Amino acid sequence: MKKENTISTMKMMNGNEAVARGAFEAGVKVASGFPGTPSTEVMDYTQQRYPDIYCEWSTNEKVGLEVAIGASFAGYRSLAVMKTVGLHVAADALGGAAGSQINGGLVLVVGDDVGRIAGDDYNDVRHYGNMFNIPVLEPSDSQEAKDLMIKAFEISEEYSTPVILKITSVICKTTSGVIIDENYTYEVKCRVKYPVSFSKVIMTTMMMNAKGSKHPKLVKCFNDFPAHIKRLASDCNDFDINKLELKGKKIGVITAGTPYFYTKEVLHDASILKLGLVMPLPEKLIRELAQHVEKLYVIEDGHDIMEKNIKDLGISVIGKELFPKFPEMMRFTPDIIEEKLVPDAPKRAVMEGIPFRLPVSCAGCSHLFISQILRKHKIKAASDVTCGLIGCFPHMEAYQLQKCMGSSIALAHGFNVATNHKENFVAMIGDGGFWATGINGLMNLIFNDSRSTTIIVDNSCLAMTGGQHVASSEFGFNYKPENKLEIAKVCEAIGVKDIVTVDAYEFENLEKAILNAVNANTNSVVIVQKPCVTKFKLPKGDAYSIDQDLCTQCRKCINIGCLAIESKKAKDGKVEIVINEDLCVGCGLCSTACKFDAIKS
Amino acid sequence: MQDTGKNIIIAGVGGQGILLFSNLLSKYYMKLGYELKISDVIGLGQRGGGVESHFRYSNKPVLSPFIKAGDVDYLLSFEQTETLRYLHCMKDDGVIFSSTFELSTSSVNTRLEKDMPESKTELIKSSGKKTFIIDPDENKSSDFDISKMMNIVMLAFYAELRGYSHDEMIQIVKESVPEKFIEGNIKAYEKGIVIARAQLA
Ligand code: SF4
Ligand code: SF4
Ligand code: SF4
Repeated sequence: MKKENTISTMKMMNGNEAVARGAFEAGVKVASGFPGTPSTEVMDYTQQRYPDIYCEWSTNEKVGLEVAIGASFAGYRSLAVMKTVGLHVAADALGGAAGSQINGGLVLVVGDDVGRIAGDDYNDVRHYGNMFNIPVLEPSDSQEAKDLMIKAFEISEEYSTPVILKITSVICKTTSGVIIDENYTYEVKCRVKYPVSFSKVIMTTMMMNAKGSKHPKLVKCFNDFPAHIKRLASDCNDFDINKLELKGKKIGVITAGTPYFYTKEVLHDASILKLGLVMPLPEKLIRELAQHVEKLYVIEDGHDIMEKNIKDLGISVIGKELFPKFPEMMRFTPDIIEEKLVPDAPKRAVMEGIPFRLPVSCAGCSHLFISQILRKHKIKAASDVTCGLIGCFPHMEAYQLQKCMGSSIALAHGFNVATNHKENFVAMIGDGGFWATGINGLMNLIFNDSRSTTIIVDNSCLAMTGGQHVASSEFGFNYKPENKLEIAKVCEAIGVKDIVTVDAYEFENLEKAILNAVNANTNSVVIVQKPCVTKFKLPKGDAYSIDQDLCTQCRKCINIGCLAIESKKAKDGKVEIVINEDLCVGCGLCSTACKFDAIKS
Repeated sequence: MQDTGKNIIIAGVGGQGILLFSNLLSKYYMKLGYELKISDVIGLGQRGGGVESHFRYSNKPVLSPFIKAGDVDYLLSFEQTETLRYLHCMKDDGVIFSSTFELSTSSVNTRLEKDMPESKTELIKSSGKKTFIIDPDENKSSDFDISKMMNIVMLAFYAELRGYSHDEMIQIVKESVPEKFIEGNIKAYEKGIVIARAQLA
C-alpha cells in the first residue's frame, strides 16, 4: 500500500500495540473478542488509536468470534482477539468457520501465556491449527507482529481459511521499534467472493460422493478446503516470512517466535530456519536444512507441536528429549539454550531461600469480605475465575472448588443434586463470569428444579484483566445507559425467587444476607456491590492500625488476605503484625477478624 | 570508548513505577539513536507481585528480549527482596543500585515459608559487585513522597553515575509525567543527584 508521500518513522511499540497497528493497515472493519491476559491490550489499542475500526468486547469469546465470522461473510476484514483459554470457549465457532468460504479476511489473534508469567495456564493455540487444519502465524518481535497481521489477512482471503496469529506473553509485553508510515491513510478492505458460506458438513457430504451430492445446487456450495491448505503448504516454501539462514554445518535449528532471537543470541554459527508461518510447515525448506547440518534441533515455546509435525514428515529432529517441556521448563530463555548446546557454558543459579510472592488481593477488595464470611461460617463454596479465586490459595482456604470461567453456578448445582441438597453448596461468581457463561448455569438450575445459592460479585468491570466493561457496567466502547443490563432484573426474569443486593463494606448486612440465602428453602442470589477498588480508584478512608500491646500475633487478620497487612521484622529482630498505611484503604474488614480488639481505625 | 550498548534490569514490586522508569530511559537512549528492546515481566497476582523489566540498548539490533544470566551491566531495584533474585545475573563488573525498601512477601506473612535469617541489605552488599544502597527512610523529604518516587531518585543516580546530562533527563521527565506531578518528580530527581554525589564522592 505504498503511497507517494510516505514518511517512514520508527515507533516504539509493544506486541499488542503492533498487532493493532497491523489491523489498521490491513483495513480491518470489525474487531471483537473477550479480554484475556496477555492479549487484552490488542483491543484497547485498536479502540483508542483507530476509531475507524468498529470495536466490541463481546459477552464471551464464542460470541466474539461469531461476530467476526458474520462480519467476514459480509465481506469485511475482521479480527477476534482472545487468549487460548478463551479459544477453548470459542472452539465450536472456529470449527464451523474452518474450511468454509471466506469473503473478508478472518484472523484470530490469540494470546498464549508462555511461561505462565502473568496467567494461569500452559496452553498452546497451535493445537487448534492441527485440529482444524488452520494456518498459524507467529511473530518474533513487534515489527513482525505488525507485518504478520497484514500477511494473515492476505492468507485468509487467498486460501479461504480463518488464520490464527499466535502471540505470546513475551511478544505482547516486549517493546521494540516498528517502522510505520506516518501518512498512512486507513482504507477499509471489502471483498465478497462467495454468495454462501457453510460449515464443512456440506463439503464433506460431496467429497464422500453421498447420494444426490452432484446436484448443481449443492455443487454451488462446494469449497475444496483440503486443496486450499495443500496449496498453502506448497507455496509457503517461498514465503519471505519463512527464512532459511544457512551457516555452520554442525547445528541446525528450526524455530519461531521469540525463541528465534534466543537462538541467535547464543548460537552464533548455527544454521537457522525461522518460521513466520508455523502451520502448515514448509517441507522443502526443512529438508534443505536437514541436509545441510549434522544435528537438527527444534526450539519452540509451548508444546512440542512443530516437533511432532516435523517428525510426521519423516524428518528426525531433537526437541523435547533435550529440552523437556512443562513442568521442567516454563518457557525458553537464552540461558536454557546455552546450557544445553554450548560446551562449557558457565552455570549460574539464583540465590536459595528467597521467599516467593503469592498473589494477594488489593487492599479493600470486596472479594475479601465474601471469603471472610464463607470461612467464618464454614460455608462450602465454589469460586469462579475472578480476582476472588485468590480465596482458593492455601493461606485463605475460603473455597473448595474452582474450575473455569463461568463454571461455579453449574458446579455448585452438580454438587447439590448429587448430595440431595443436604448442604447448600454455594457458588461465587464475578459479574464478568456471570455474563460470559455463568448465566447459563443459573438458567439451567432453575428449569432443572434445583435449589442453590449464588453470590454474584458486582464490581462493575472485568477486574482481573484490568477493568474492561461488561454488560452491567456503566461505561464501555458502545455504552448507552438504556442498554445496561441489570443483574438483579435478569436473575428475576430467569426465575430466581430470593434476590438481595448488598454493599460489600456493610459487613454485618452482608453476613446476614449470605446466611439467609444459604438457609432459604429456595433459589437465592446475593448480589454484592462494590466497584473494583483499583479500577475505579475509590476514595480511601482513614487507615487502620494495630495496637502492638493488644496484638497476640494470632495472625487471623493476615489470613483475610489483604495486601496492606504485613508481618514485619522490626530493627531489633522482633516480628510485628502491622498495617501498611500507604496501602490500607480503611475498609475495616480486618477489625472484624481480630478477637482481641487490637485493630483500630 | 564509545558506548556500544548495555543490559539493564529494573526490578521491584507492582506500583513502584518500574514501567515509567524504563519508559523514561528509553526516550533518552532513543534520542541518542540506539536500538532498544524492553521486555516487561509482570508477576502473578493482583497487587504486590514482582515486576521486572529487561532493558537493552545497543548500536546494533537487539536480539533476545531477555537478558541472559551473567550479561547484566546494571541492576536497578526498588525492593530489596527482588534485588536478591537477580544477583546471579550480574556481569563481574556489573553495578547494583538497590533500595532498602522491603514489601514482605505473602508467603512469609502467612507462614507458608520462613523469611531468610540474614539481613537482605548485607546479602546484597556482599555480592562482590559494585553496589549503591539507597535507604528511603534516611532520605525522606517533605517536598515529595520518596515511597512513590524512588524510581525518579534512582534515575538521577544512574544518570549521574553514567555522566548523562541531567537537563536532558529532566526535560524527558517533564514531557512524560502528568502536569500535577512534575514538581514532585523534579524534586525527587534533584534529591537523587544529591544522594548520588554524596555516595560517589
Ligand atoms: S483488581 Fe479489583 S477486583 Fe481485583 S483484587 Fe483488586 S480490587 Fe479486587
Ligand atoms: S488478628 Fe488481632 S491479635 Fe491477631 S494478629 Fe491480627 S491484630 Fe494481632
Ligand atoms: S482496613 Fe484492614 S482490611 Fe481494610 S484495607 Fe486496611 S488493612 Fe486492609
